[in-house]
Amino acid sequence: MNRRALYAAAIAVAVLVIGAVLTPGLASWPGLRAVLVVASFTGFVAAGQMLVVLVGGIDLSIPWVLNAAAIVLTTTSLGMSQRLPVALALAIGAGLAAGLVNGLGVAWLGVPAVVMTLGMNGVLQGLTLGLSQGLTCDDCGHYAPSPLRDLFAGTVPAALLVWLGIALLVTVLLRLTVFGRRVYATGVNPRAAFLSGVGVKGVTVALYTLSGGFAALAGIMLVGYGGQASLGLGDPYLFESIAAVVVGGVSILGGRGDYVGVVAGSLTLVAVTTVLRAQQVPEHGRLMIYGLVILAILFAYGRERAHD
Amino acid sequence: MRDLQDRLGYLVLIATAVAYFAVYTTSLGRPPGSFDYLAILNTTMPLALVAIGQSLVVLTGGIDLSVGGVVSVCVAVTAATGGAPGWILVVLLLGAAAGLVNGLIVAFGRIAPILTTLATLSIYTGAALWVLPVPGGSIMPEVRAVLSNPNIPTALGWLALAVAGWWVLRRTRFGMRVYAVGSDETSARAVGIPVERVKTAVYALSGLCSALAGVFYVSTTTAGDANAGAPFILTSIASVVVGGVAFTGGRGSAMGAVAGAVALTLVIDVLFFAGIDPLYQSLFQGLFLVVAVLLGTAAALLARRRTT
Repeated sequence: MNRRALYAAAIAVAVLVIGAVLTPGLASWPGLRAVLVVASFTGFVAAGQMLVVLVGGIDLSIPWVLNAAAIVLTTTSLGMSQRLPVALALAIGAGLAAGLVNGLGVAWLGVPAVVMTLGMNGVLQGLTLGLSQGLTCDDCGHYAPSPLRDLFAGTVPAALLVWLGIALLVTVLLRLTVFGRRVYATGVNPRAAFLSGVGVKGVTVALYTLSGGFAALAGIMLVGYGGQASLGLGDPYLFESIAAVVVGGVSILGGRGDYVGVVAGSLTLVAVTTVLRAQQVPEHGRLMIYGLVILAILFAYGRERAHD
Repeated sequence: MRDLQDRLGYLVLIATAVAYFAVYTTSLGRPPGSFDYLAILNTTMPLALVAIGQSLVVLTGGIDLSVGGVVSVCVAVTAATGGAPGWILVVLLLGAAAGLVNGLIVAFGRIAPILTTLATLSIYTGAALWVLPVPGGSIMPEVRAVLSNPNIPTALGWLALAVAGWWVLRRTRFGMRVYAVGSDETSARAVGIPVERVKTAVYALSGLCSALAGVFYVSTTTAGDANAGAPFILTSIASVVVGGVAFTGGRGSAMGAVAGAVALTLVIDVLFFAGIDPLYQSLFQGLFLVVAVLLGTAAALLARRRTT
């Protein structure tokens, strides 16, 4: 594990402790649980964002992949529990398909990642709005099936266990498998990786596909949390996912970073916002402090090496 | 053929303009009149200005996400003060100062451009909300008559001025240095170019361009909104891409970006007159973006094949 991930974890703990002192409610399990649940959504999208950032890419299509998956889920499940498995498969499938197209465009057609994923974001926004008639379609108003909503009930919500599972999965994938070694090799130096036999294009396609899948997962969980799908559901997660990744100590240039750090990064960002809200800081103050916190963290451990 | 990629923006603009002319004429039974051209000019002005600033930054191999925040804060101040000439000067200084801060952090703080401007985006957007908590404000009719007069094409004069500014700038020592830094930073440093100062300057210029865009935005819409700048982040990047400016830096021109901005604005009109449901609008914008870039890549590939 790299040192930056430890810094990220230390900062998350520090922010939570300061928050608990300022806002006593945060020191209780229900308070902490609320922060963890909200942070899990950032954690899901940031998992995908981290994977593409590790190979020096970026995914700007997250907002509408997330939103499209959320609407696919509600319009195919129609609030019925027995239709949930199919709906889940379709929603995740839609995310994976969008990610696959991103990956193919970036790796095989040579379209810059910013352009490809920005274009995909637009395409999915248009398709989602058009096909759902601006979310006025007959099936659009359905609630999430109850098993999905139950993920957020209980002392230890199952949603947090899902996040834990994803964290283990991503960490094992990156640190204990051949695929993971190839990801870091590609991120550090794509040319060297290619020459030593890594299928750089295949790795890239796989990572973008996974990112689409994680964005879809976030959409599904948000529908379960909020009960319904809405338009613009994914908009806050574009920049939030990038912020969580870098606050988590992942190098934006690729090749370095761990999901443990990203989990800490997600917690830090959500904890900052939660504490500021609890302190009744107005929105403009929250935005400015949020930006300053990110900037301070970047100065602490996000700087690039000096030029000789 | 290498020239073809450099002229991508103009080719895309010509193709879009022809499509606009054809679709407009078939739909309304008459060619577009002076009123239509004036409307296009006035609505494109803010984006064209932001795109000029964005292209300068991208030419050095960077990216400026904070344009959204700078436009917002400048729109807020202009609208809140009614845009008296003295205040417009303040707004321009404010924009340049905001950009200067970005530049200093990127160049001397050694934090990646995308991360620096992500953090300052939040700070500047917060400042905009602080100045103008609810949409509103006004612009002096005299100022409006000079900037974006709805009856005579005054904006054309300002656009020509911006074009002339770029034309002079790229021929100065500073202009050459911008391309040098973007093409190969290490070499630029080796031949004694003050890379840090060049970078700082392009971000300051980008801030100034965003400030001008903010003033024109209020002048065209006659009111302000603290979130007015947000759409410009992605559309300015799209303009730069369609305009043939390479994300790797050192290739392209601000004029291409202006052509890209006009093309992107025209596409919306083309879709409208072609009778396409506005809900599907972003689908076609996304496709337009990716296809335009693919055409550029294909042209470059053809060129390489012909020379070898």
